[in-house]
Amino acid sequence: MHATVLTFDAPTRSRALLPYAVLLGLGAAVYWLFPGQLPLATRIAIMAIFVMSLDLVVGYAGLATLGHSALYGVGAYATGIFASHISGDPLLGLAVGALAGAAIAGLSGLFLLRYDGLTFLMLTIAVSQILQNLASKLRDWTGGDDGLTGFTIKPVLGLASFDMFGRTAFVYCGVVLLVSLFVMRRLMASPFGLACVGIHQNRRRMDAIGANVRGQLLRLYAIAGAFAGIAGALSAQVNQIVGLDSLGFELSAEALVMLVLGGTGTLLGAIAGSAVFMTIHHVASALNPYHWLFIIGGLLVLVVLVPRQRLLAQVKRRVAGFPNVRGASASKQVA
Amino acid sequence: MQQLANIFIDGVSYGMVLFVIAVGLSVTMGLMRFVNLAHGAFAMTGGYIAAWLVRDHGFGYASGVLVALLATAALGALLELVVLRRLYRRSELEQVLFTIGLSFLFVATANLLAGPQVQLLPLPPALSGSVDLGVRTLPAHRMLVLGCGIAVLLLSIHVMARSRFGVWLRATVDNTSAASALGIPVQLVYVLTFAAGAALAALGGILGAELMPLEPYYPIKYLVLVLVVVAVGGLGSIPGSFAAALVLGTVETTSKYLASEYGSLFFFAAVALLLAWRPQGLLRARG
Amino acid sequence: MSIQLRRAARALATFAATALAVSFANAQAVKVGVIGPFSGPFAHYGTLFKAGAEAYVASQGGKLAGQSIEFIWRDEGGPNPANTKTLAQELIVNDKVDYLAGFVFTPNAFAVAPLIQESKTPTVIFNAATSDITTKSEYYVRTSYTLWQVTVPIAQHAATKGIRKVVTAVTDYAPGVDAETAFKAEFSKQGGQVVESIRMPIKTTDFAPFAQRIKASGAQAAYVFLPGGPPNLGFIKAYNENGLKAAGVEFLGTAETDEFDLQKFGDAAIGLQTAFHYSAAHDSDANRNFVDALAKQNKEAVANYASVGAWDGMAVIHKMIEATAGKRDGAKAIAAAKMLAWESPRGPVKIDSATRHIVQNVYLRTVEKGPGGMLINKEVQNFGPQPDHGLVKN
Repeated sequence: MHATVLTFDAPTRSRALLPYAVLLGLGAAVYWLFPGQLPLATRIAIMAIFVMSLDLVVGYAGLATLGHSALYGVGAYATGIFASHISGDPLLGLAVGALAGAAIAGLSGLFLLRYDGLTFLMLTIAVSQILQNLASKLRDWTGGDDGLTGFTIKPVLGLASFDMFGRTAFVYCGVVLLVSLFVMRRLMASPFGLACVGIHQNRRRMDAIGANVRGQLLRLYAIAGAFAGIAGALSAQVNQIVGLDSLGFELSAEALVMLVLGGTGTLLGAIAGSAVFMTIHHVASALNPYHWLFIIGGLLVLVVLVPRQRLLAQVKRRVAGFPNVRGASASKQVA
Repeated sequence: MQQLANIFIDGVSYGMVLFVIAVGLSVTMGLMRFVNLAHGAFAMTGGYIAAWLVRDHGFGYASGVLVALLATAALGALLELVVLRRLYRRSELEQVLFTIGLSFLFVATANLLAGPQVQLLPLPPALSGSVDLGVRTLPAHRMLVLGCGIAVLLLSIHVMARSRFGVWLRATVDNTSAASALGIPVQLVYVLTFAAGAALAALGGILGAELMPLEPYYPIKYLVLVLVVVAVGGLGSIPGSFAAALVLGTVETTSKYLASEYGSLFFFAAVALLLAWRPQGLLRARG
Repeated sequence: MSIQLRRAARALATFAATALAVSFANAQAVKVGVIGPFSGPFAHYGTLFKAGAEAYVASQGGKLAGQSIEFIWRDEGGPNPANTKTLAQELIVNDKVDYLAGFVFTPNAFAVAPLIQESKTPTVIFNAATSDITTKSEYYVRTSYTLWQVTVPIAQHAATKGIRKVVTAVTDYAPGVDAETAFKAEFSKQGGQVVESIRMPIKTTDFAPFAQRIKASGAQAAYVFLPGGPPNLGFIKAYNENGLKAAGVEFLGTAETDEFDLQKFGDAAIGLQTAFHYSAAHDSDANRNFVDALAKQNKEAVANYASVGAWDGMAVIHKMIEATAGKRDGAKAIAAAKMLAWESPRGPVKIDSATRHIVQNVYLRTVEKGPGGMLINKEVQNFGPQPDHGLVKN
């Protein structure tokens, strides 16, 4: 992957707010103009949070993982179990999910982060498979492969209950998405985030200048785990069911595909990739589910064969009618 | 006592199937440093071609298998020449994604051409029965897998250590530019190695068809299984894959005999422990 | 630029007009949203649902109770409750379906319970076989079967035959556990003993260890439950290769010799006994009618429990449409469904008014070579109408 080239010109206020404005605009458009798409949009929002948390690990820290669903699933189950036995309050449930995700990330990270490259990748798969098998075994707590059901979620802030039309769910998840984006962006623009990028670019040098590489990565992994847990918690609350698929390999693989489609290391790419992938899947499934794999397979092959920078430059040229003034389109902003 | 014998026999037998399916991936991923997640697709292709020839076109088992191996090798060589060699310098992530996309295309194509049904590969009468081992019986085709597995292991060790191609391959992998400067036809080495990996995948698909039935979803279904065997065994180490397959196969079989309600938990725990203990591979392969 | 814009606007307008016209044309049709797996390893279920449902409508002359039917097919893929919930939500809110149907996987069926309850959408389950599902909402009706329903008779049969010791070997997931519980409960009640309960992980490819365990258990028979597809093939092969048949361990099953996979087993399957609610070889006019209609609709489709589940599911929807005169009235439709009794391709059936699950005959079948050399499940005994024993007990 091309190394993330940081440009240090501080973004103007308006440029920094642009992503939020766009997201809010899109959200409002869906809410008022396409209310039938609210369930899909809600799922996209949840997935976007998950893929952003994956971006922290893959894009910023440079650790390719195929076991991220472990953190999502743990958050989902924790929230479901919490709602079944203690309280159905959604915000408390979110906190529980975040804590669970962070805890599992921290624990597994102590072991996983000793390794890198292919070994790390395989170990992440092993950890998530162990958790999935465990969840299947602990049928009394998790419902096994029937799924965890039977819990109800109270209205958000005591005001808005989860209705059949998905309005509450959409606004709830949308707000969490915006807040998560904000927090993650600030985090990655801070010295902490820059250190993580440094580790990605050259681990040995970071070590040489005295950075605590392992500790730094562990903290990042735990934070990513917290956000993944939040995504899982949202899914549990909105759907009121948690299935074993939330700990599955397919989910990890799909998230990675979404991330790469949208572009790593930008957080916004994670959101874009999730939206594009899930929308295409949704439309293709409805049109002809048998051949959906042709589309996604073809898309993946194309995305890798045609470097995105060239493609983007072409698109920009067509649309804007003049060459991209900003020149090196390989630069990615980190703020 | 009987149970111990059972665990041993079934464990080795399952492990051999795993080895035969995974060895091709060890070649492409390890020797060529290319993350080839489309390995299962080649296995499936070999199996489908063999099934089609033997079942629908009256080929004998041996000849059908041979043609399938050659055809898959040719397909592998073609893909390598046309597309894959552009990806050698790309990042691992890109290789992962490309080959996953390729796998999806294979899955969709198989579904389109042959439907979602399992493809049966009829065994010749000689292989359909059971062999009496004294303590118990073992299906004859498992003996075939055992034999083939050992043959592949010995052949690959011989090729790598003794043959000129093995020398070329080791040189190319160690230092491509130096090898090229010395006159080794590096591009040819790559094509042939990839073709060999594809053929081995096809062999694995065919021999493993009794346990892992040939269906369109095959490449994705068994991807994780094959990957962990290769990773635990160490990239590029065929003896390593052999050892890993046997160990993991035995762990899985033991778990089925003694604690099957835990599913694959012990298998993945073993994977994690083995990788943690020997990250470079079980038999300390070339780093 | 503006020329392009004008052309685009014209295209859009034409499209919108057509869409409106089409939607008006279909405004009178009764909409049935069918959620099934149309991609992935279980895609054959989707094909069978589609064939069975469409064959039924065709057999009734293209309309049910005078209403034209619009099917909307949605892909559930695999067990993925979040996705299924989204699909159901869209079907109910956007497409405004009158009925929901389908469902292969239990978690997916569970996921839509709050939706159908709130929107009062009658939902006919074509397959998902866990007893509990119908208790989650008053709007579920099921035309498939449950594990308890077909397992209790075979346990009783085993006891009657004089078998005292049985080993159970089930796939370790909810329906398998249901099957094991049901068998153990009934067999013990009949005075028998389950010497060992083996759980086989769902991803198992190598069944040899389990075949060996069955042999070693010393049981006279093995009660087996498998999910269908490649595991069934793998298990039957292991059963024979490891000499279980030769050792005299009887095979007792339910859906394992399903017509979809049956021909692949070859002669190895001859003699296997199962208890199940539907055999394609059932000797009745209703069944011959069904098999013909199915073949006409899709000659690749197999007559089995999935396609007959869809066929009978549409029969229930037919009656519900009749009762509501094609209008959307969930409560009235369900009330009518609860009273239904008719001759299905499986035999005489009725819907139990308490559980909304189908009460049907369960038959003992043996695999034999039928006319034409194909393997069939020959019905040798009729255990009589069985309710969902799982709900009756609880």
